[in-house]
Amino acid sequence: MAMQIVMDTTGDTRHHFDPNDAEAVAKAERRFRKLTGAGFIAAERTSAGQSRRVTSFNPSAEETLFFPRLVGG
Amino acid sequence: MKRLLRGVEKLSRLLALHRLYRLVHDKDTPEARGRNLLREWLSAEQRRQFDAFGYFDVIGSISGKQYRIHFGMSANVQELGNDGRPRMGWCFVPSGDLVPADVMLAQKIALETSEAEALVVAKRFPAAIPGMRGHLDRPFWSRV
Repeated sequence: MAMQIVMDTTGDTRHHFDPNDAEAVAKAERRFRKLTGAGFIAAERTSAGQSRRVTSFNPSAEETLFFPRLVGG
Repeated sequence: MKRLLRGVEKLSRLLALHRLYRLVHDKDTPEARGRNLLREWLSAEQRRQFDAFGYFDVIGSISGKQYRIHFGMSANVQELGNDGRPRMGWCFVPSGDLVPADVMLAQKIALETSEAEALVVAKRFPAAIPGMRGHLDRPFWSRV
């Protein structure tokens, strides 16, 4: 199962989907586009403690994290 | 007077224990969820630092500089010099109402993957703010 994690006021919300299920993948891609379109930053976990920024949907990513855009404090 | 002081000390110890118990056992609070997520995304060394001190170090993706991200929601990032001492503070946070651990994770990813983008929006502040350094240097659990 792949997972999209969205940071929010509850800590985070996790959306699991089966990468072999075309409908689930399409839904995950729509979520990716909606979040990044709203300014969220997406990052994939590549290995323990390592991640990389992504700007397009990767259906084979096991874990993608979304957090709101950064602003000066 | 001494008895009163002992009583206050005892009460404050009990309150600290209560807070610690809640932190460990309230798995479903936003704070606990944020902390769990952060720990999942930290490297083993960063997790060790965070558990012990409430901060962890990251390396900037462009400059190779070392940054220290402290437990907090703003003005909690320090750039460290070659001697390991704070040189400058950087303030940048994800917009919205997030718990401290989420803020720290967003800062870690930003510095490790797109340092320049993070620093463009960040505001600088002196590394040593009076009254702040002591707070940041105390172990995490003693500040909870």
